[in-house]
Amino acid sequence: MRNKRMFMLMLGVVLLVAVIGYSLSDRKILTYPEQFVRDAASVAQGWFYSATAAVTGVARDVVNLKSLHEEAEQLRRTVAVYTRDKVHYNYVELENQRLQKLLNFTEEQRNRFNYDYVVAQVVAIGNDANNRTLTINLGTKHGVETDMAVITVDGLVGIISAVSAFSSTVTPITELAEESPTVNAIAVSAFGKEQESFGILSSYNPETQRLLITRISEGDQIAEGDLIITSGKGAMYPRGLVVGEVEDLRLGDYGLTYNATVKMKAKMDGLHEVMVVIPPKSVAQEEAADPVEADTDGALAP
Amino acid sequence: MSISRVIVALLLLFLAETSVMPLILPMPDRVIPHFVFVLILFSGMHRSRHSALLLGVGFGMLQDIVQYGHLMGPASFFMGLMGYLSGVMLEKKQVSAFTAVSVVLFACLLYDAGVFAIYKGFRITDASFEWAFFHHMVPSLLLQLLFAIISYRLAKRLLERQHKPSGEIDEE
Repeated sequence: MRNKRMFMLMLGVVLLVAVIGYSLSDRKILTYPEQFVRDAASVAQGWFYSATAAVTGVARDVVNLKSLHEEAEQLRRTVAVYTRDKVHYNYVELENQRLQKLLNFTEEQRNRFNYDYVVAQVVAIGNDANNRTLTINLGTKHGVETDMAVITVDGLVGIISAVSAFSSTVTPITELAEESPTVNAIAVSAFGKEQESFGILSSYNPETQRLLITRISEGDQIAEGDLIITSGKGAMYPRGLVVGEVEDLRLGDYGLTYNATVKMKAKMDGLHEVMVVIPPKSVAQEEAADPVEADTDGALAP
Repeated sequence: MSISRVIVALLLLFLAETSVMPLILPMPDRVIPHFVFVLILFSGMHRSRHSALLLGVGFGMLQDIVQYGHLMGPASFFMGLMGYLSGVMLEKKQVSAFTAVSVVLFACLLYDAGVFAIYKGFRITDASFEWAFFHHMVPSLLLQLLFAIISYRLAKRLLERQHKPSGEIDEE
């Protein structure tokens, strides 16, 4: 009797290790049962989350009523700056297009940074302390894929870690860890010094609630108070997404490079709406995707 | 009551702990609800160890699949194991509310420590155990105990099998 229990426990441990090993591998597409369970759960979670958010939202609005005037004032100032910058931007954009045409840029090169920003609703927040996740209500049917960046108006929130047809899971950048086999480091640089600064956003320290940038070279222009944005140099994540502000710059472990501590801009709690940054498809991807898309369209039409 | 009602109740609790509680609770990164887990422990005491094992593995797997960030498996393994253990200890005994709540206390600590050990072992988290213990394990434990105390009577009525005559249940 006891032996049987022991045997079952061992079997359970073996199964656990096997499942962990399988799920740790770099899986781009989930199996159909998984997708079905996730989509079904996300629909129900969506109802509950939006209902709760509506109620708590009203309560928060009442509390925030006082600061409304101040906020409006601040926004008015921002709009003034924005209109001025917009005029300047239009000139620069036109000039840039003219030069790109002169230099015979291909269509792909020209559209490389024309990102699509798709608004998604958060439907659930994970209840595992070591594996913080957000579930959003967009999936492969809406063009979302793994490793896309997710932002709020304040800045970068996380990276899509798993996708099913109508929902996907976001792993926040607070899950970044130096030696983690499941999250990738993000290439970053400082705003206004994009060509002169470069670092690797490699980990998040939950104890101090700060992000860490490593491998900053000695002659780097990066300084305290700089706004940190993604550089797009890894070609994996889009460029120009706000990450945070440099708080502290010090010599790294081996004395060869510098490390910077960064305070995150995006707020993690009470998230309701986020945006998925969808990069333009490369020519090779489009050719590969087209026949499949035509097929599914045909199948969907009754 | 029938197992289908138990499953519906657990599903509702799962939705509550992922989509309702994070918005309501203060400090949602420290106080983390595990209501489904508490009810699975209760089902080990009031129903049978096997149903607790199956419910634990099933709902753990649901949690693993829906919240797939790094890896799958820890939730289903530890929920099933803890449900089974609570059944082995207290299955055919009269359980007082105090015993039930203290079982929830130890099981929650073991569950959190076990899951943390797996994430630490696979180097997914850098945090130290001491920090994790005081940062989220103790605050979440308090929430779980509160839920266990509030839901104890209701859970007993929900989980106990129907072989008792219905009059006896009404008397409670």
